[in-house]
Amino acid sequence: MIKLQKEEIDILDILERIKNPESGGIVTFLGTVRENSKDHVVSKMEIEVYEDMALRQLEAIRSEAKEKFDVHEINIVHRYGELNVQDNIVFIAVASRHRKEAFDACIFVINELKKRVPIWKKEITPEGNFWVDEKNE
Amino acid sequence: MRIKIRYFGQFRDITSKHEEYITVKEGITVSEIREHIKNIYPKIAAKSEILVAVNGNFGSLDQVIEEKDEVAFFPPVSGG
Repeated sequence: MIKLQKEEIDILDILERIKNPESGGIVTFLGTVRENSKDHVVSKMEIEVYEDMALRQLEAIRSEAKEKFDVHEINIVHRYGELNVQDNIVFIAVASRHRKEAFDACIFVINELKKRVPIWKKEITPEGNFWVDEKNE
Repeated sequence: MRIKIRYFGQFRDITSKHEEYITVKEGITVSEIREHIKNIYPKIAAKSEILVAVNGNFGSLDQVIEEKDEVAFFPPVSGG
């Protein structure tokens, strides 16, 4: 499953669906909204996505991960819209026969997602609103 | 020919537009259209990294743009 959605991620549902008789383990990554970013306090976060392209990139990353690592299934859900501190942003679940492949594949997916999936985060702070990385320029 | 341009992230704030149509010469490349956009929006030109996608794929700079293509401009991604 690859999904971009505004609503909350149903983590338990994803875990139930990804379970299968072949897999001995499921590794997950859950990204959430932090209240501190560098030197400022974050009150909210806005996430923008280029939907068609993001879905295509996520499918490509999943295919690459399945080719590269011996895993059975990979599910990726990323949220967009307005989120609060502690809200879930992204959930990745990888099922495989043994744990090492699942851990490696999960790391690969989140790293590639951060490099090439067209999604942008804007932090809403008391000092103003900043696109993530904007302050580094 | 008229080309559909889309802007995302900080570039949407800079241009105050989600999308627009611009008129360009036939056979224009990704590299040339990027220069064209930099001329229209100096604040985009000032950015250290400008990413360009054609029809939702990262293309090469010498790729030729067709009239029906959708060209998107955006800064480095920050999802996850």
